[in-house]
Amino acid sequence: MVIREQAPTVPEPVEHRATTRGTARPQARRRNRFAAWYRQGGPTVVLFALPVVLIFLYFSWGPIVNGLVMSLQRTNLVAPAQWVGLGNFQYVLADPALGQATVNTLYFTVLAIVFGFPLPIFLAVSMAELRGRSWIYTTLAYLPVIVPPVVSILLWKVFYDSSADGLFNSIFGLVGIPPQPWLDSPATAMPSIVLEATWAASGTAVIIYLAALTSVRTELYEAAELDGAGIWSRVWHITLPQIRGVILVMLLLQIIGTMQLFTEPYLFTGGGPQGATTTILLLIYNYAFVNGDYGAATALSVLLAAGLCVLSAVYQFTTRKWSTD
Amino acid sequence: MKPSRKAVVAAASGVAVLAALVGCSSSPGSDAGSGKVTITIGNRPTTSDADNRAYYDKQVKAFEKANPDITLKPSETVWDASTFQALVAGGNLPDVLSVPFTEPQGLIARKQVADLTDALKQTKLGGQLNPTVLKVAQDSGGHTYGVPITAYSVGLVYNRDLFTKAGLDPDKPPATWDEVRADAKQIAQKTGAVGYAQLSTKNQGGWMFTTQTYAFGGTIENAAGTKVTFDDTPSKDALQALHDMRWTDQSMGTTTLYDLDSMAQGFAAGKIGMFMSAPDQYSASVVTNGMDPKNFGVGGLPQNGGDHGTLSGGSAEVVNPDATAEQKVAALKWIQFFYLTKYQDQSVAVAQAKAQAADKQPVGLPGLPVMGADQQAKYDEWIKPYVNVPVSNFDPYVKVAADQRIIPEPPAQAQEVYAALDPVVQAVLSDQNADIPSLLSKAATTVQAKLGR
Repeated sequence: MVIREQAPTVPEPVEHRATTRGTARPQARRRNRFAAWYRQGGPTVVLFALPVVLIFLYFSWGPIVNGLVMSLQRTNLVAPAQWVGLGNFQYVLADPALGQATVNTLYFTVLAIVFGFPLPIFLAVSMAELRGRSWIYTTLAYLPVIVPPVVSILLWKVFYDSSADGLFNSIFGLVGIPPQPWLDSPATAMPSIVLEATWAASGTAVIIYLAALTSVRTELYEAAELDGAGIWSRVWHITLPQIRGVILVMLLLQIIGTMQLFTEPYLFTGGGPQGATTTILLLIYNYAFVNGDYGAATALSVLLAAGLCVLSAVYQFTTRKWSTD
Repeated sequence: MKPSRKAVVAAASGVAVLAALVGCSSSPGSDAGSGKVTITIGNRPTTSDADNRAYYDKQVKAFEKANPDITLKPSETVWDASTFQALVAGGNLPDVLSVPFTEPQGLIARKQVADLTDALKQTKLGGQLNPTVLKVAQDSGGHTYGVPITAYSVGLVYNRDLFTKAGLDPDKPPATWDEVRADAKQIAQKTGAVGYAQLSTKNQGGWMFTTQTYAFGGTIENAAGTKVTFDDTPSKDALQALHDMRWTDQSMGTTTLYDLDSMAQGFAAGKIGMFMSAPDQYSASVVTNGMDPKNFGVGGLPQNGGDHGTLSGGSAEVVNPDATAEQKVAALKWIQFFYLTKYQDQSVAVAQAKAQAADKQPVGLPGLPVMGADQQAKYDEWIKPYVNVPVSNFDPYVKVAADQRIIPEPPAQAQEVYAALDPVVQAVLSDQNADIPSLLSKAATTVQAKLGR
């Protein structure tokens, strides 16, 4: 834009004049800045941005602010809401289900990170090593992501049939392993959900890691090979350090994502058996849509969001050093 | 300075967005004062359900002709727990909507439905409804908030084919829980299928456990809904019966998590012998999941140690809490016209039955009369030629249900009670060493804490 390029020349004489005129200085500078901003097409920029900003405020921040307000209210969405202060927070914090839901959610997060996080890195690194027809592996890895979650969960529900003729149990039977209860036992329900969730989600991570791997400079490998490094030390000393920024971001995203687990327990188990798969989000859903208690639902949502904010901040703080390249 | 073209475009789009946002929050105009009233009515069948939709639309026109002061705005909105609150919040709730019997008490407690007591007095409908069934839509003060249009009592649904294969008489379903246990064991041993199964998740576990407790002579809450009462012998006996079937007899299979969908699928596939449900389960089993109609059987709810009663199910029409007095009267007129005229007018009864039969929906399922018993009998006579369900399969149910006592759902926070009872049922079915008294007292403590809210 032509106007922009001229911009720096405008304030200079103003400043020079201002220093000689003492008190009139700040006002004149402000007025001239405004004039300059106006001349540079400032109003156009504002008007141009206005629709986007308004839409963003209304549809993105509106619900968030509304949720905050509602967490302090008791409402049936018909009559005017009553203010109840922190009553909703007290109620959800006193609910015995919250403790178990928190433990369950953290349990899922830990399992999903321990088993689900390294897998896509491993797959991506192996796939990057393979020469030729790499699109086949990429497609195969990404295919589970394309299957709609409801469909894949209902499929896996059939696989997890706990009778001896269930799919997984039949396969186990071939090698002499007794039928497993899968989703029907409090001990195995959550690991079963983790298995499906990992299968369903790792494809996306693989694609992202593959993209990150293309940025690793190949001459580093050549140099390492000349120095006699094996495949493991090349991966450990070159590949992983080169993509650590992406790895750290993915880890944070995965932690936040797993803390918001809902679809799988909702469709697989409804939170059972004996509450073993009731997650915080499922609890929020039940407050809102089963009990019709919007105050409690939003209060717990606010608590979860606050927890995740703190977690993200701590994470950023502790990993800042590692992620800088 | 002349505004640039860019600025004009930007300003115009900014104004357009503002206008759109304002438009979102404006409310539809009302035509109060003119004597005319407009109501939106839900449950219009979708385009995939062409015959019923055509019938519905025809009835809307006929109603408007008969009531020139009332304008109807049909909507395809149906009851769905997860969208209902959003409809309420957005002011988009139809003025008339069908809800299942599990809902009215919660809606009444949250004041999300209109009080129809006065409007019912104004229309002729008030005195004609079956008072026993009407209780599901009344509060403790006797105010009425809904009109039941179909009603069932929970019974025992069973697979007649599995009964025959197991050497049992398909015309004699079990009448007591001891017989349920014996028959379940026989089915499991002779056919390899699950003898008896019970809903256990998504609050349906608590719902059916409530029914079972009723059949064992127990209650869930006191009449005022202020005190938990399920921590006692009938509930313990009910759970013990489940425990013994699951672990001693091995007649309940290994699956412990059943919701209505997975139950209907397993039952229709011939993998489940019996479970507690109402005759309307026929739709889910036969129409949705393709079960052979001749295998579908239903009996009365088995009892334990006397004739205690059963829980009711069905659907009721409720009215938007924001409706004006005129809209409430108009809503009741529509409810009566569309859902209840069939009990008074033979041609309407026949036309509805024909449309349902054409759409392969079941015609002739037995239920509880929503109006007087004599009107129900007349109606049954009128639709006889169009009945498309195997009537004799329902005989065991009809014989028992006519006299069985109907017990309403727990009066306070029923859904939260059910949520607390789900894990109790799951524990008994997934843990051989489950400590039944401690499970019940723990659930009772949880529920008691919620009853005050």
